[in-house]
Amino acid sequence: MDWTPFSHIVVNLARQIRPGEIAFSGVNSTPAMLACLLAKRAYDFHFTYLNVAGGVEPVPRKIPHSSSDPALVAGSPAIFGNEDFYDLCARGGLDLVFLGCAQVDGEGRTNVSVIGDWKNPKVRLPGGGGAAVMMPTARRVVTWRTEHSPRTLVEKLDFVTAAGNLQTVVTPIAVFQKRAGRLALECWNPQVALDEVACRTGFRFDASSAKPAAPISARERAALDSLDPQGEFAAGLRA
Amino acid sequence: MTLVAGLRAAAYGVPFQPVGGVHGSDLAALNRWQKVKDPYGSGQEVYVIPAISPDVAVIHANEVDEYGNARVLGSPFWDHPLTRAAKRVLVTAERLVPSDVLAAQPELTLVPGFMVEAAAVVPRGAWPGSMHPLYEIDYPAVEAYLKDEPGALEAHLEAAPELKMNPPPPQPSP
Repeated sequence: MDWTPFSHIVVNLARQIRPGEIAFSGVNSTPAMLACLLAKRAYDFHFTYLNVAGGVEPVPRKIPHSSSDPALVAGSPAIFGNEDFYDLCARGGLDLVFLGCAQVDGEGRTNVSVIGDWKNPKVRLPGGGGAAVMMPTARRVVTWRTEHSPRTLVEKLDFVTAAGNLQTVVTPIAVFQKRAGRLALECWNPQVALDEVACRTGFRFDASSAKPAAPISARERAALDSLDPQGEFAAGLRA
Repeated sequence: MTLVAGLRAAAYGVPFQPVGGVHGSDLAALNRWQKVKDPYGSGQEVYVIPAISPDVAVIHANEVDEYGNARVLGSPFWDHPLTRAAKRVLVTAERLVPSDVLAAQPELTLVPGFMVEAAAVVPRGAWPGSMHPLYEIDYPAVEAYLKDEPGALEAHLEAAPELKMNPPPPQPSP
């Protein structure tokens, strides 16, 4: 089964979750929300899923469009709200945090604040929503971009919103992992040439140990289909 | 979270609140946030966020009684630090209930009435947002509101369900 931009992002985000971890997805993070729900359905190991709506191990009756929808509390035995999960992160209790970004640089720092100059912006972005606190304090941070281009994966950020423990960047065509302080290519979507990844990436990166992404498994495919039976999410994420 | 730290400082009655993280972010210089060294000698440097005390906090509750005691069901998001940090607290609520309803489960009361200056009963007042467990997000209404075109705001206000449920009184004829 071929990768789509949508499946490449969601499945490769899900593959970052490790057994026993406490993982968190935040606002405006639909791909990360889907990845956590996919991992619950496709993988046999246990991990704890928390989300910004206050859900703890939710069993949503339907999959909401918004990753902060209260539907993500359904089935939770507890509500672990904003103050609680930020505090948990600050004291080192969140193993894996999915944080979105507008730009990411080769050192794994992110910009969610502004494109252009702060005082005279080309685009004013929504802001970090806690990223500045979570990225240095979470044990591991994973980000993603639906657009893989030199304006999103940049050599120099317009603004550093957050820096710290970013480990992984997932795009429709690539997965980067931080090694020795720089993002290195771990794998790429075999439907594009390796050269294309380099051409569409604004920062320099090591590709010496990169491999084509492992094919999507039958269980990953089935879980993704069950989360998006009408293909609505996939349609919204054509890169 | 730096916003919550500022609210917490105000709620705690102190001028600033230490917060984890922020290291490496341009937001620190932009906002002139200061770092302090742990006075107890751990060697850690911690950012401190100045107190934020809103003049008014307005929260939407599920139920309110005649004294302003307000019950919020579901995830409270920032309601707790917000109501403690603000100088004045106003409540809108889905419905008015007798006080003994709240007294039967006082742990569900998010803000006690002595802190509340005024309350209004506004059914569906969270629209187009959600109000657990009564109604969900109205996604089509949110998307219509987001349209960057003339009349989008007016159409949104026109569609507000609370206007339909509580029509304004007829204007007296001149």
